[in-house]
Amino acid sequence: MEMKEYYLQKIENLKRAKALQTKEKIRKEGLLDEDDYGRIAVPDKGWEIIPNHSDGSFYGIQGWTDNFCDLMDNHPTYIDGNDAFAGRWIYFMSKMRPNKWNPSYPFTHLIANQEKYDIIHGIGDDAHFAPDFELGLQLGWGGLLKKIETSAAINQGEEQEVFYQAHKRAIVSIQGWIKRHIDELALMIQKEEDPLSRENLLKMRETNRAILHHPPKTLRQACQWIIWFHLASRTYNRDGAGGQIDTLLQPYFENDIKNGIIDKEEAIYYLSCFLINDPIYWQLGGPDGNGGDVSSEISFLILEAADKINTSLNITVRVHDHMNQELFDRSLDYLIKHKNAWPRFSGDKGLISGFMKNGYSEELARKRIAVGCNWMSLPGLEYTMNDLVKVNMAKVFEVAFEEIMATSEVKSTAELWGKFTAHLAKAVTTAADGIKHHLKYQKYNEPELILNLLSYGPLEKGRDVSDGGAMYYNLSIDGAGIAIVADSFAAIEQRIEEEKRLSWEDLQSHLNSNFEDENGERIRTLLQNSERYGQGDTKGDKWASLIAEHFSALVKNESDAEQNHCFIPGLFSWANTVGLGKKVKATPNGRKGGEPINHGANPTPGFVVDGGSLALASAIAKVQPGYGNTAPMQWELDPSLAKEEHAEIIGAIIKTHFELGGTLINVNIMDKEQVLAAHENPDLYPDLVVRITGFTAYFAMLSKEFRQLVVDRILEN
Amino acid sequence: MILEKGMITNLQRLSLHDGNGIRTVIFLKGCNMRCLWCHNPETFSQKVQIERIDQKCISCGACVEVCGSGALSMYNGKVHYNAKSCTQNGDCIPVCYSGAMHQVGEMHTSESLYKAIEKDVPFFKFSDGGVTFSGGEPLLQHQFLMEVIQYFKSKDLNIAVESNFNVSWNIISKFLPYVDHWLVDLKFINAEKHKKWTFTDNQKVLSNITLLDNQKVSYELRTPLIPTANNIKEELVAINDFVNQLSNCKQFKLNPYHKLGEQKYKNLGLEYNLAHINEMSHSEFQYWSSLIKK
Repeated sequence: MEMKEYYLQKIENLKRAKALQTKEKIRKEGLLDEDDYGRIAVPDKGWEIIPNHSDGSFYGIQGWTDNFCDLMDNHPTYIDGNDAFAGRWIYFMSKMRPNKWNPSYPFTHLIANQEKYDIIHGIGDDAHFAPDFELGLQLGWGGLLKKIETSAAINQGEEQEVFYQAHKRAIVSIQGWIKRHIDELALMIQKEEDPLSRENLLKMRETNRAILHHPPKTLRQACQWIIWFHLASRTYNRDGAGGQIDTLLQPYFENDIKNGIIDKEEAIYYLSCFLINDPIYWQLGGPDGNGGDVSSEISFLILEAADKINTSLNITVRVHDHMNQELFDRSLDYLIKHKNAWPRFSGDKGLISGFMKNGYSEELARKRIAVGCNWMSLPGLEYTMNDLVKVNMAKVFEVAFEEIMATSEVKSTAELWGKFTAHLAKAVTTAADGIKHHLKYQKYNEPELILNLLSYGPLEKGRDVSDGGAMYYNLSIDGAGIAIVADSFAAIEQRIEEEKRLSWEDLQSHLNSNFEDENGERIRTLLQNSERYGQGDTKGDKWASLIAEHFSALVKNESDAEQNHCFIPGLFSWANTVGLGKKVKATPNGRKGGEPINHGANPTPGFVVDGGSLALASAIAKVQPGYGNTAPMQWELDPSLAKEEHAEIIGAIIKTHFELGGTLINVNIMDKEQVLAAHENPDLYPDLVVRITGFTAYFAMLSKEFRQLVVDRILEN
Repeated sequence: MILEKGMITNLQRLSLHDGNGIRTVIFLKGCNMRCLWCHNPETFSQKVQIERIDQKCISCGACVEVCGSGALSMYNGKVHYNAKSCTQNGDCIPVCYSGAMHQVGEMHTSESLYKAIEKDVPFFKFSDGGVTFSGGEPLLQHQFLMEVIQYFKSKDLNIAVESNFNVSWNIISKFLPYVDHWLVDLKFINAEKHKKWTFTDNQKVLSNITLLDNQKVSYELRTPLIPTANNIKEELVAINDFVNQLSNCKQFKLNPYHKLGEQKYKNLGLEYNLAHINEMSHSEFQYWSSLIKK
């Protein structure tokens, strides 16, 4: 759609401002191997935390409330006359603590195994489940305050009083932050001479006044309300979960159009401003439960807005049998046009059938949408610890291998498998015990003051979402390093057991020397050229399926219906491939000690000579954990394929992966020459966006080591 | 039923230039032309060959130790390969752990071939893709190919055949009921030039194309545009005129010359005679493409 120059210019100005803000953030805060988050740099002499513990950190509901309210009270205002909305976030409050777990609740009994198996335990981690924005849009801040009042009258008690008082204070402080923007706008309006800019500022003020207490009624108000909530929530503990963006905004858009309040151009401008505010995870399209798709005209306008801003974006298009083909085609067009890692795609079939295997209905399963890095969530209904807990299976393998070499006289892959699974079971139980410990004490450590507000249960029950407040506890444990383990088993089976080209002792000796001993490099290539996971029907594929199946069963086995604990397996490493790899010595697949483990469920780089896209899509579909969490396909799509004339082929690969059971596809399309040049001089490529895993980041913001990892991944492809 | 076996060099997954949709290309070994620009020299001979991929070599010298013919030698810490001395007995292949010494050519039956491509079948559905048989000249192994194609058709696969058409029409015609799409090379109209650059006559090729056109089956023609060979106005006009008198050609296009196969000649110990010819620029290719418009 052709837009008025007025809006286009404003969007361009916003993009320029964002580029400068990113540059400033790198200058002040250094490189960061994380999402861009839309956050702007901390000002000089900025806000500092108020510790309530001798270790310099703050804990518990009082500590968090005091800190959050103080920060809100002192948070700078942010208004850009080019924007339709006020506000940006600055402080990463949860990261400003020197210590993230309250030492009064130690987990010393778990530490030995956490270290032995290199488990990222997630104890004390936060957010990573989704609020229901619809709840906030219906109630507004005033309605939420009223809900607190009503609930407090029902749930009386000392602890409850503190609980409700804290949430009330949090809302009031957010309202105060909004109010300061309204006041600031009044000053800006007075000074503004350009009539069009003045009108925009007036509308911005009017919008914020309207939603200060009451629920939003227009598209602009709804977007601004969501922005305030997520800015507050981001500030509190980095929460970045979105929702079903099109159905959330559809009634406001349609009402505005019907009443002649806005036209479509204005809607796209609002949506552009909304998306540039923060790269929150939004889902677009999806099954409506009646054999159709939930998408509507605004779904297309959201894509158009994304096209206009084209920054780091985390929009996921839901692919299903009755999807809106036109929406899918359009999303492919933009993926190819911009080559900027958006959108990504989630597979309905595998996600829904998988989640239902936990005993949930299809109707509920449909509500579990793509709102996080690698993860799905039921907005407002569940507490999950998604993407927070990882078992380094490559480390578990190392423990098993060392044990078999030290204790077993007769060695075999069967014997090794027995030891591996026994240690994996201990590792999974350790991870689950960590989650249980977290659930028991997290309210004393870090209550979810903001996300509680848009969840069903915490306010009603007077209990934190981590403490029985939520309706469901679908607790996530991810396995990392599947390809390293599968390829290691395959290499041993093929080279030692079948071909007898080397002995177990030879292998151990080469591993101990990190393949730097005599004949080491030759043996390393032999092992590397074994039948690997991802090649299709190979030994590596067989082992990968076995590992995935076994890991899933172990995780599921930790579930406890009485406690309302449903554990759900996933295969994902997030950006931890480097860190997890550093903990693992050389492995029998020919990987040298300390090198990164494989990415998520992806095979190790260079697993096939050609046709990598199909091999990847087939392989990852076969190792899906199968209970509604993901094993994403990280797809480094060759630019020679990413052309308009091949859109149908790209679409066919996506659909086939999901037809085969795949759950999520993250796509990168990067020109090798460009990525090498950007690695050399990141400053010259400030707009280059890369999908690291589930999240996107500015390439220039990544550390050199992490940039190298991305470069290797792309070059290997 | 006698199970035919055929010699295959390679399976290429997700080929973008060999028919509609997502396609897996099966390269049959053996060719009756010797096009000087060919980028698949490993398909010339129908026999198993050894190729040496220097980039994969880690200079461990294991191959030198087992080589009985003296084709492999160690010099200055690097392995050297003299293909002319090689007896092709393959002793070097199992001791080469890095995969630098590699066997080109593998025997397959229709069933083993289907098993090899089966994993790609789900991808064909959403893109109207399928399998393309290429080479070399696939119709040289026509008995094997017929058995494979019939077997693949029984699995409901879309079949394309890429041929130089330098084979008897009797053979081609037997395939007509089973092939969904033909991709045929039309290299030259000028008989002399055809002979010079491919070492074969083009009479049969042109006649087969005309016969195919009369069958009203789906087919397309491609002309490899080779600098100094057929990027000559008169030649392209003649090719274009020939195409224009056909009635049922679905598509006709030029394919630009590239040197991606040059390394393969080295790996096989063959001489690449077009090393001196450069690839043409995009704009030059566009110019020549404009001449073939109707």
